[in-house]
Amino acid sequence: MGLITANLPQLLHGAAITLVLTVVSVALGMIVGAAVCGLQLSTSPIARGLGRGFVSVCRGLPLLVTILAIFYLPPAFGLNIDAWPAAILALTLNTGAYQAEIYRAGYMMIPPSQIEAARILRMDPWQIRVYVVAPQLLRLVLPSLTNAAVDIMKSSSLVSVIAITDLVRVSQQLVALTYRPVEIYASAALLYIVLTLMISGLGQLAERRLGMGFQR
Amino acid sequence: MPADLLLLSAYMPRLLEGVAITAEVCVIAITAGMILGFVVALLRRIRFPPVRWLVVGYVEVLRGTPLLIQLFLLYYGGPAFGITLDAVPAGIIGLLLYTSAQFSEIVRASFTAVPAGQIEAARLLGLSRLQAFWHVQFRQVALLTIPPSANQAISILKDSSVLSVITVPEITFETGRMVNETFSVTAPYLFLALSYWAMVIVLSAGARRLESSIPR
Amino acid sequence: MSPALKKIGDGAAVLQLRDLRKRFGDQTVLDGIDLDVGQSECVCIIGPSGSGKSTLLRCMAFLERYDDGVVYIHGKSLGYSFVDGKRIADRDVQVDHTRRGLGMVFQQFNLWSHMTALGNITTPLRLARGMARAEAEEIGRKMLAKVGLADRADVYPARLSGGQQQRVAIGRALAMKPTIMLFDEPTSALDPERVGEVLDVMRQLAADGMTMVVATHEMGFASEVSDRLIFMDEGKIVEQGAPKTVLRTPETARLQQFLGTWRARQADLFIQ
Ligand SMILES: Nc1ncnc2c1ncn2[C@@H]1O[C@H](COP(=O)(O)OP(=O)(O)OP(=O)(O)O)[C@@H](O)[C@H]1O
Ligand SMILES: [Mg+2]
Repeated sequence: MGLITANLPQLLHGAAITLVLTVVSVALGMIVGAAVCGLQLSTSPIARGLGRGFVSVCRGLPLLVTILAIFYLPPAFGLNIDAWPAAILALTLNTGAYQAEIYRAGYMMIPPSQIEAARILRMDPWQIRVYVVAPQLLRLVLPSLTNAAVDIMKSSSLVSVIAITDLVRVSQQLVALTYRPVEIYASAALLYIVLTLMISGLGQLAERRLGMGFQR
Repeated sequence: MPADLLLLSAYMPRLLEGVAITAEVCVIAITAGMILGFVVALLRRIRFPPVRWLVVGYVEVLRGTPLLIQLFLLYYGGPAFGITLDAVPAGIIGLLLYTSAQFSEIVRASFTAVPAGQIEAARLLGLSRLQAFWHVQFRQVALLTIPPSANQAISILKDSSVLSVITVPEITFETGRMVNETFSVTAPYLFLALSYWAMVIVLSAGARRLESSIPR
Repeated sequence: MSPALKKIGDGAAVLQLRDLRKRFGDQTVLDGIDLDVGQSECVCIIGPSGSGKSTLLRCMAFLERYDDGVVYIHGKSLGYSFVDGKRIADRDVQVDHTRRGLGMVFQQFNLWSHMTALGNITTPLRLARGMARAEAEEIGRKMLAKVGLADRADVYPARLSGGQQQRVAIGRALAMKPTIMLFDEPTSALDPERVGEVLDVMRQLAADGMTMVVATHEMGFASEVSDRLIFMDEGKIVEQGAPKTVLRTPETARLQQFLGTWRARQADLFIQ
């Protein structure tokens, strides 16, 4: 027990790094996801092909492979990339691809008649996107989005292999110092569960907030 | 580039060995994990509180923490409990337990998808409780789990790359070793990406075959 | 209809309810129901939503345990036995044995989605009656012909219309040679133009002398086919009698109001 309390500050620091990685990549992933979803729903076949290609490459590769490739490939071409940008980029691309699919599925669930109705009311395409599609989409995709956030939070553990001192990396360092893998890794696991509960709790809260005034 | 290709052909036997290990580990972990997942989902239907809490805890811990931490606990923490495993068996067991938790959720969802009325009808038509369970409920659950399990299997295949971190000599590990030994980067990563891509294609084709055999 | 086959109330009732009571939590859903259904009698139950019609039928089939009272099927109490005045829950096998003669058709059809129309009918014959496949299939095809679906034997439920599914469900129940058939709003989940084909099958069944209890919103069917109409409200039988009498001269304010709303809705439909 003393072992855990002694090392708790470091573990918490690692957990904070994990949380930062998650928040940043989910936020950036929203932009990427929305853009890719836009490509996929576009009327231009080239744009659609691009969108689909992006999604299938990013989802077809294991995240670990993406991380390693983004970190080790550019130096071979004379470009240096630091661990942090590489980690954020890999996580963003990964969750962005998943989010694109989530948004697309959500978009399909909005009755086309609503968009037609808005068009008849002479709203321009951007107004329709902002006032008609987006609010409904948010409500529809929120549960999946929460899952995606939990997923990328757990997956962010993989950036420990490129020496980001996230929760896993910190645990590894502590194990090397203390030779107590069970206690340290179990505490890390517990912290991950806490983070999981936090994110899904937040998602549920947001769902309830957004649910007000909405009828499904 | 030609030098890269020469190196690649020199390392090809080891890389192919890595692909074989990935395939082997995945086949065992997915098959056994699905069976265990079914058992877990069935146990979860037992309302007796101690059993219930145990099963829920098992599923939630395995689903709320990264695979990487689970592997560390098993591989490095195991010896503290007298469980000393080589990397490959540790990897298989870790991946299998992880799969079982994911899969049990699919099975649980499938159980709720079979309307209770169909079971009531079966009981009223004279089928015994066991017959109603087996012929009406279980068969439908089994069919319903096929499409989502296909996706799950593909995602487990990708997750198996994480086993490289505990030195299981699968394809990601062998690729990393080649990169370290040769400083050739592009060709090995390209090969790595292509091998996952090929394995995903094979799995999806198999899944489609299976899905098309579902009566409807 | 062949009146010759209809012998209402001759001999003992085949289905009897005595002071049947059922609560969900602190809500009383069945508040002391007494009912005798005679051989070949067709009883229709009407009443507002939530009045307890489904619960009553489900208790008759022991899909729902009841809190008090008795359900007798052919004189045998269903679900509970009485030893020295004490109520003891029956075991599964006993329950199955007592309700052998009972067939039920549900609002949601409840066909088994992973079996063809024919498979839905043959499976219980083979599993519960231990019939050989050939014999079961022969009966199955006969039943499908009876409900007008001889050409749909190998089709899965998802490919059948609601009306067709419900007819298969009726055929499936009939294949077990029930002596009493319970129907819980069998046409409520159907498109209006599909209602008729199901009601036709039921009409024929009544004409053939099947004992039937039907919860329904189809007033036309109720008044034309039933031998007795029951109006339920808040877990009680409020009025009962010959359908024409009950519908034309309702005695209670509750039934008058119910019929008033029904007529208003019909008028609305007509105007549309
Ligand atoms: N399983 C249950 N748990 C709790 N309450 C229930 C349950 N089943 C029915 N009830 C309640 O019992 C009451 C009677 O329901 P029931 O389904 O028997 O009514 P009904 O007359 O069949 O209505 P409808 O015409 O809508 O089918 C309702 O208030 C309902 O909410
Ligand atoms: Mg009802």
